[in-house]
Amino acid sequence: MRAERIAARGFRNLVDFDLTLPPAGAVFLGPNGHGKTNLLELLYYPVLFRSLRGAMDSEVTRFGDSGFQLELVVRTPDSRCVVGTTFIALGKRKQITVDGVPPERRIDAVGQWLAVAFLPTDLALVQGPATGRRQYLDRVLSLSSPTYLRTLARYRLALAQRNAALRRGEFRVATAFDGPLATHGAGLVRQRYEWVTRARGWFADECERIGEPNTSAADLTYRGKEELIDPERWPLILAECAGGDQQRRATSVGPHRDDLVLSLGGRSLREFGSTGQQRSAALALKLCELRALGERQTAPALLLDDAFAELDRGRQERFARRLHESGPRQIFVTTPRLDELPRPLELPIWSVRDGTITQAGEGVPS
Amino acid sequence: MVGAIDELITELARLPGIGRKTAQRLTFHLLQQPSDQVSRLAAALTGVVERVRPCGECGNLSEVEQCGICSDPTRDGALLCIVEEPSTVSVVEKATSFRGRYLVLGGRLSPIDGIGPEQLRMGLLRRRIEAGGLREVILATNPSLEGEATSTYIQQLLAGKGIRVTRLARGLPVGGDLEYVDGVTLSHALQARQEVS
Ligand SMILES: Nc1ncnc2c1ncn2[C@@H]1O[C@H](COP(=O)(O)OP(=O)(O)OP(=O)(O)O)[C@@H](O)[C@H]1O
Ligand SMILES: [Mg+2]
Ligand SMILES: [Zn+2]
Repeated sequence: MRAERIAARGFRNLVDFDLTLPPAGAVFLGPNGHGKTNLLELLYYPVLFRSLRGAMDSEVTRFGDSGFQLELVVRTPDSRCVVGTTFIALGKRKQITVDGVPPERRIDAVGQWLAVAFLPTDLALVQGPATGRRQYLDRVLSLSSPTYLRTLARYRLALAQRNAALRRGEFRVATAFDGPLATHGAGLVRQRYEWVTRARGWFADECERIGEPNTSAADLTYRGKEELIDPERWPLILAECAGGDQQRRATSVGPHRDDLVLSLGGRSLREFGSTGQQRSAALALKLCELRALGERQTAPALLLDDAFAELDRGRQERFARRLHESGPRQIFVTTPRLDELPRPLELPIWSVRDGTITQAGEGVPS
Repeated sequence: MVGAIDELITELARLPGIGRKTAQRLTFHLLQQPSDQVSRLAAALTGVVERVRPCGECGNLSEVEQCGICSDPTRDGALLCIVEEPSTVSVVEKATSFRGRYLVLGGRLSPIDGIGPEQLRMGLLRRRIEAGGLREVILATNPSLEGEATSTYIQQLLAGKGIRVTRLARGLPVGGDLEYVDGVTLSHALQARQEVS
């Protein structure tokens, strides 16, 4: 799968443009603060129809503009499809289109364009709080299965309603939402367990390939209440938590409280890993995302934002080789300096200056 | 633009399904009509606002204190159908041979929007329960997350009161093709399957 053409108006600091993209991808080269990451953010937008940095639509709208508009032409070996978004800041109106037509539900548009983004902030996946890892699981599973995305939306709504009732001190109203909470929550927990069972082998394998010494024992486990897989068990568990929930005015059990534990030799990488090991684990986790999405569709594109900058030469090269081995796919890389890129990446160079994108040359000079 | 025109456009644009463009078109259309016709529309709007209000007994829209259904002695007062909106009453009345009475909640529980039991007509329901004589309550809220929760809440309220509580069966659309039915609907239909022989 590849992006053939991209056009945008009013997006961040990018000057309005409409460009045909090289099939292999490109290196976006430019000084700090000129719009390279904004361009990747734009390319990722039609994956989930939101910012990959978690920014709101009004924040990605160019300062002072009334909204933004984007269009991406996606090619697969046997299809062509145009995904688009129009956002109007006034009233926060957003329209998503697939081939010019708004789909019945937003989630019907998800899956047309798939990409995996490697960001400088990925290290927080390993070092940071559980929220980031839950978002990771939710994203990967949503993009791998439309059922998951639907279930997630329903669970979030049931949870938001239940918590709002708890905040209002209306416990009986809160429990009226227990039914949907259990049905959809159990669905999420089950799919997460199933995914982690499959992905732990991938994770160990990726850690090894990145070449961390002694990574043979790298592992991925899901931390949650396993009995929550069964919706019938929820009433009892929710009842046990009733007192605490009323006191804290929030639901204390469910997939929104679970975690994904990354470990090395049986020890949590978050607590005991060296920074280098944590970096490798973060890359491995993103490579698992690439594998998961590759299972469903033709090879998703890669968006690498300064992804090599913090790595030492050895890791850089092993990582680049790994990406190369993962098969042919479109790759977009940002960097302020060409010498920060490892050799195996031979891509056309485009320059990004003051938000203007121009074709600069071919190939990475050695 | 003239103040009065702008005001009307803004008001029309508040209506469901009407954007600013349509509101403009409607406004200019009205301005081209004979003035007595437009006055009739204005009078009809005023009439609705002044005369129609919720029935004191069931919450349905009515021009008198007690609506036609509540004051109809041939209706079965022991059978109560609970709905969210008045529009559902007219749909049920037109499409079925239901001969019981109604209770219109005026919405559904949605704590994130600040709608709890106090914002709905739970008081009327309590009065109906206390008055006694209820044999069956049919919960006919919408099959949305909030509609279902509202029914669950009322179900808990009625528990142990010796009143039969039923919910509308959720299932397959008539005239549809099984192939196009979504999974949730199909699994509900399977759960609520009926004995045929
Ligand atoms: N909504 C917006 N409208 C206009 N400009 C914006 C908006 N949001 C961010 N910017 C500007 O975009 C610039 C940052 O762009 P970006 O993050 O893409 O830089 P970069 O090229 O990736 O830099 P670095 O190499 O430092 O990562 C900043 O100058 C910022 O002020
Ligand atoms: Mg950047
Ligand atoms: Zn009435």
